[in-house]
Amino acid sequence: MTVPYAAARQLAKSFGAKRVLDEVSFEVAPGDVVGVLGKNGAGKTTLLELMLGFTAPSGGSVQLFGHDSYRLPGAAKARVGFVPQQDELIGQLTAADQIGVIASFYPRWDDALIHKLCQACDIDTRERIRAMSVGQRQKLSILLALGHRPDLLILDEPVASLDPLARRQFLEQIVEVAADVRRAVVFSSHIVSDIERLANKIWIVKDGRLYWRGDFDALKESIVRLHVRSSRPLPQTLTLPNALSLERNGVFATAVVRDWTDELHQEVGEKLDAQLEIENLALEDIFLELHR
Amino acid sequence: MFILKPHSGVPIYRQLLEQIRRMAASGQLPPGTELPSIRDLALQHAINPMTVSKVYSLLEAEGVLERNRGKPMTIAAGARAAPAASKRARHLEPHLEQLVLAARQLEFGEADVVKALRDHWQKTVEKTDDRPVRRRTAAR
Repeated sequence: MTVPYAAARQLAKSFGAKRVLDEVSFEVAPGDVVGVLGKNGAGKTTLLELMLGFTAPSGGSVQLFGHDSYRLPGAAKARVGFVPQQDELIGQLTAADQIGVIASFYPRWDDALIHKLCQACDIDTRERIRAMSVGQRQKLSILLALGHRPDLLILDEPVASLDPLARRQFLEQIVEVAADVRRAVVFSSHIVSDIERLANKIWIVKDGRLYWRGDFDALKESIVRLHVRSSRPLPQTLTLPNALSLERNGVFATAVVRDWTDELHQEVGEKLDAQLEIENLALEDIFLELHR
Repeated sequence: MFILKPHSGVPIYRQLLEQIRRMAASGQLPPGTELPSIRDLALQHAINPMTVSKVYSLLEAEGVLERNRGKPMTIAAGARAAPAASKRARHLEPHLEQLVLAARQLEFGEADVVKALRDHWQKTVEKTDDRPVRRRTAAR
């Protein structure tokens, strides 16, 4: 069996008395593109930082390439690329110097790739970083995480300050990385449509726990909105199996259900003497429904 | 070539799967038509290459697509005949359901609906110069 790129078991983190993450388990395999979704303060950044070993877990374990993240050997570190929410560029340096500093850490640095990407992204390498706009800095920060061709690319809200054009370029970069089945990407974003385009796995972080973890297509097929129309008034006490929410109004009812199957569909239809219609939900709707 | 809406509730792989299936079945993509490479299609729509590769593999297994060594995938020779009428009819079902529902809400009987449908059909065919009505894809 191959070692997963990242694996966590019963991971927990507290800051003082406050538990910000609990019972988090996951695996990232080569070829995965994981979209991490959650409200502000749900624990996404903490989760990514634990994964990267920036902070020690309060319980459980998290590993990268089979090593404890918190004590990651250099060779394993060189296989990880990270784009933080707030860039860590050095203001006094020019972009070229900054690239040089980062490149010096990595034996496998791909100068030609970075040169090409700087041109594609309109980054003037002679410009000083402190003179750059937030968007330019963010683009540079993303490029710097790609230069050593990491096997595992982790990005924390990488596109927040990018204009639509730059965002598209960023997405294309991720497509390029994802086209290589030996690489994996984990990225958190509030831009749900980016996650919809690229992710094949979804993690939904809610109140410090991994509320959903799995195949994206399975999520879209599992959580659906159900429109019920009965030939007689529905009972006041109407309940539906696996319902996350339910609203009843006379002969009509609307519900969001989880793990809906053809068998349930038929069974409920017959029991309520009702027509049932399924509406697929966009990720944004699913996310909102899970937070009602 | 394809219209993919990441924001729709339907998973992207299913949108692509159904579009290729329909276009092959209707002959819009005749046998031998080359499909874009996985990478090109993924880049063009900024979607995950694995999604495209999953669709291509599923359609290959169904006999809609043909894999050619070192060359682009193509629409298979038998693809056009593949989906039987009963399969195509599935696409009509939601529309029929809506129609029957509306008719019952308006208290029309079966015969009224059949007559109205026939009239409408003839009017539409006349309007389009006796050409057969193109099957509309469920635009949603």
